[in-house]
Amino acid sequence: MESHPSFQGLSEILEKYPRAAGAMFQAYNDVVYAQQWADVEVIELPDCKRGAIKGRKPDTDDVLHVVPCTLAETLSISWLQSALSHLLNPPQVYLAITSEDASIVYYKISQGIVKPPV
Amino acid sequence: MTGESGRIPLRIANKKAYVWDVDDIATIRSKHNICGILTGTLPHLSQQNAFLGVPLVLMPEEAVLLVENEIAVMIDDARAYPQPTLQQLQVWNLQQQEEMKLQLAVIEAKEAKESANSGRAMSAEALEKRRAREEKKAAQATRLAEASIVSSGPSALLVPEPAPSKGEATPPLASQMTDSSGAKGSTVAHTIVIPAASSAQDWYDPNPHSYWTIVAAKEAGIWDYPSNLEERAKCGAFRSLWEQGYFMGGGIKFGGDYLVYPGDPLRYHSHFAASVIHSPQSPLRPMEIVAHGRLGTATKKAHLLCSWDDDKKEVSYLTIEWAGFG
Repeated sequence: MESHPSFQGLSEILEKYPRAAGAMFQAYNDVVYAQQWADVEVIELPDCKRGAIKGRKPDTDDVLHVVPCTLAETLSISWLQSALSHLLNPPQVYLAITSEDASIVYYKISQGIVKPPV
Repeated sequence: MTGESGRIPLRIANKKAYVWDVDDIATIRSKHNICGILTGTLPHLSQQNAFLGVPLVLMPEEAVLLVENEIAVMIDDARAYPQPTLQQLQVWNLQQQEEMKLQLAVIEAKEAKESANSGRAMSAEALEKRRAREEKKAAQATRLAEASIVSSGPSALLVPEPAPSKGEATPPLASQMTDSSGAKGSTVAHTIVIPAASSAQDWYDPNPHSYWTIVAAKEAGIWDYPSNLEERAKCGAFRSLWEQGYFMGGGIKFGGDYLVYPGDPLRYHSHFAASVIHSPQSPLRPMEIVAHGRLGTATKKAHLLCSWDDDKKEVSYLTIEWAGFG
């Protein structure tokens, strides 16, 4: 992990929140290298004891947020709401759920009752 | 039907709320955005389930909302039928006999018409004889019918107000009706009409068994929803969605507590499957988010997490959808 090119920028948050380090590292690399997001930054979420990832999808202007977690964790509504409020209440965040075999899936969590696209 | 109180009667049996009147079903659906589920079927077609009828059974959340909003009243229907008084029984018996007479007269008139057209001798004398014979037959039939009514107990039959007859039939003379000599106790074919609503009976008295609030219904022991945090959360989430104009149906087909429709379910597809979470601190596993989110996305629905805060009595919502990447 230490020799990975993205480790340098992540080392601080990974060492501060070691329990979330695996999910963080995996989600960050997926966002940067697989999804090819632009202007990717890391934001600290002290209440959730981890970092969040901020960036833009390729060729779009909206700033989006990704909160990583593993499949084995137990979350709660208040946990999700604290993440949203720490990120200054964006209309939605993406929850990146990682598993031990390195697969990852993203789910969009929106605040309030949001009609699905037609 | 809506009583003098202006409230819709919810008839409670086994702690479930039923609506038995079609007008009431239409009212709660069109004016109050509450659908319920039709559950009634025919005794000899109990396997059919495509077209069900009354009674409408309400979800407990729906019944609670209707009573709390002073739209409906809960009635302990099993106790609303006291022993009829003698006078009520006499009136009932009289109506029953009237109905019987009317039916016999209709049958008689029909037979007379058929025999008149059968091409037998049409001379004035023959007609007169036939008429006399038929009158005699009718009188005897009526006597037999009366005898059979009298011999059966008052609780053996239920007959409503006489239905209007179809035209030319004339009831047999009263003098013939009172003569009971020659009755052999045999039966004359007639139809026993069971009234659709037993609440039409004179002795039906729901007032002493009506409960105007959920608290009163709980004290009477006929209702107990909501009795715990989980049920309070469901009532709270249901009310919150309802107040925003949504219609709710059962959510079992999409793995939630409710399906949430933007208007009447007959006119709209649901946009959401909703599940109620009874506390913001309740555990929520990422696997649930995946399962709900993916199922909803595959069916063009989003999944709503309705989180109930029992201290603030508030609901907060999060909408889950597949992100579309990754």
